Amino acid sequence: MYEGSEGCHNSPLFSRAYFIKARDFQSAGKASIHIKGLLKELGYAQSIVRKTAICAYEAEMNVVMYGSDGQLTLTIYPTFICLKIKDHGPGIEDVELAMQEGYSTAPPEYREMGFGAGMGLPNMKKNSDWMEIISGPDQGTLVHMDFFLDNIP
Amino acid sequence: MKIGQPPQHFVDINLERCNGCVLCMKVCPMKAIRVTKDEKAHILGTCIDCGSCISVCPRNAIESKTSISIQSLKSRYTIVTVSPVIYTQFGDEVMPNEVITVLREFYDQVYDQAYIHELYNLATEIYIIERRNDPKTKWPLISPICPVVNRLIYHRFPALLPQFLPFLTPGEILAREVKKKALEKTIFKPEEIGVYQITPCSAKLINIKQPLFENSSFLDGVIGINEIFGKVKRKIGKITEDAVYHYSGGIGIGWARSGGEIEGLEGVRSLAVSGIKETIKYLERIELGLLEGVEYIEFRACGEGCIGGPLAVVDKYEAKRTTERLVRMFGINKRVKFGYVKKLYENGFFNAGINPENFSKPNVANLKASLERAKEIYGLWEFLPQKDCGACGSPDCMTFAEDVIDGLQTPDRCAILNMRR
Repeated sequence: MYEGSEGCHNSPLFSRAYFIKARDFQSAGKASIHIKGLLKELGYAQSIVRKTAICAYEAEMNVVMYGSDGQLTLTIYPTFICLKIKDHGPGIEDVELAMQEGYSTAPPEYREMGFGAGMGLPNMKKNSDWMEIISGPDQGTLVHMDFFLDNIP
Repeated sequence: MKIGQPPQHFVDINLERCNGCVLCMKVCPMKAIRVTKDEKAHILGTCIDCGSCISVCPRNAIESKTSISIQSLKSRYTIVTVSPVIYTQFGDEVMPNEVITVLREFYDQVYDQAYIHELYNLATEIYIIERRNDPKTKWPLISPICPVVNRLIYHRFPALLPQFLPFLTPGEILAREVKKKALEKTIFKPEEIGVYQITPCSAKLINIKQPLFENSSFLDGVIGINEIFGKVKRKIGKITEDAVYHYSGGIGIGWARSGGEIEGLEGVRSLAVSGIKETIKYLERIELGLLEGVEYIEFRACGEGCIGGPLAVVDKYEAKRTTERLVRMFGINKRVKFGYVKKLYENGFFNAGINPENFSKPNVANLKASLERAKEIYGLWEFLPQKDCGACGSPDCMTFAEDVIDGLQTPDRCAILNMRR
C-alpha cells in the first residue's frame, strides 16, 4: 500500500518551507501564490500547478482561520510533489466528519467573509492524489498531500 | 509577428540623466530593470511597457518612445482617431466636439473612438450571452483592451491566454474602418494614408509593432496627448464650426476611466480592476480559481484606468471628475441599435484574427535542469542577507541569486556581505 512520501525511496529534489501567520487575512494566500509561481517557473504542467496551488491555498486558509501559527512545506520528489501543513491549533476532533462536504465549524464572522462553506477539506481531497490528516483535540493538525506527476523528468 | 521575440519595449532610459538609483528597479512589476556595473539602469526584454518606472524616476530619466510629433508625420493624408481620454484633459467646460473641431485644424480627418466603444459593449454582451451555457468556456473572460495587461498575461499567466475576449480593440477596429473609408472616398494610395491614435497610453505602440492578436496592426502610429496638449489648449474656444463630429453617449466616453467598459455591459456579472499591483493580485486569484461568479473582468494597468496613463497631462483624479461630469451630461443610455450590432457581430466586425503562435507558448523547460537551477538559487539565497535593498543592482535578493546563477551578476556585488566581511 502506498504510504505517502515517508514510505517512498525517492529522495527530495527541492524543499521549501513557508511560515503562515494565524488570523492574518491580508497576507493569506501568499505562500500558495509563491508555490504556484515557483512550480510554473520550474516548468510543471499547468494541471499539476493548479491542483497543488489550490490545495496549498485551502490548507493555508485553514491555518489562518482556525489554527495558530503554522508552517507549510513544499517538497518536490522525482515522481511527485508533497505538501505538508502543520499548525499547533485546537486540532480537529472528528476528522471523518470534517471531511464531509458542507460541514464547518466556522464562526459567523468568517461566514460573513465568504469562508466556512465546509468545502475546504473536501476540495483538498478532490484535488490531491493522496491525502492524510493527523489531528486530535488540542494536538494541532498535520495535513499531508501528495500530487503525482504524469511525465516524470 | 510573435511578441516577445525579439523583445521590444518602448520605455527608454536616458543614460546621461540616470544616476543609478534603484527606484525604478524596485517598482518594476516584471523585475525587468537592472542597475549594472556602469551604475545606470537598463531595461531587460521582459518589460511590458507599464510605465510604472516613468512616474517614479526623480530625474526624469525614463522616457516613453511611443509618441510621434506632428512634424514627423510622413503620410500625405493623415487621419487621427481620438481616445476619449483627451476629452477629459481640458476641464469640464470643454465639450468633446470642441476638442475634435480643434484637432481638425491639425489633421486631415479626426474620428471619435468613443462611438466604437458602445458598439463594442453590445457585441461583448452578445458574445457572453452566446457562451453562458457552454461548459467549455472558462470564466471570467478577460478584457483585451489594455496592452500592458495583455503582455503581463502573456509573460506571467500564459494559462489565462484562452480567457481573452477574442475581439480586436476598439482602436484597431476604428483604424481599419477609417482606412477602408479613406481608400474609397479619397484619391490617395494605401501607403499615403496614415492612421494615428491620440492616446494617453505609453504601451500602445507595442500593440502596433507586436500585436498579440493580429499579425499586423491597422494603426500606423501613436500620438501622445502630452505632445499635442499645448497646441489644442491654445486654440480651444477660438474656432467655431457648426458641425457635429462626436456621436457617442456617456458610456463611450466613460471608458476613459476604470469601470467604464463594464458600465456599458448590461446583465453581465462583471468587475473592474485598475492599477498594475491590483491587476497582478487578481490574475493570481483567477489562476487559483478563486474568482467565482464573475463573467467579465476589465483590467487596466494604470491606476484609475486610461486617464492615469503616462502620456496624459491632467492628473488622473481631476480627469476622473471631468469624465464623471461628461458621462452624466451625455447619459448612460445606449445609443446603438441591437440589430445593427448583431449584424456587424455576425459579419466578424469585432473578431480578432488570433495569431496561434502567440497562444501556444511551448513548454520547453527541462524539469530536471530547472529543478537543479532552483536548488542552486535557493541555496544561494539562504546565504544572502535577504534585506532586498537593491544596492547590488538586482531588485531583491531572490532575483540577485537568479542573476548570479545565470551569470548576469557576481556574488561580490552584494554590498551587505561586503560590509560584514
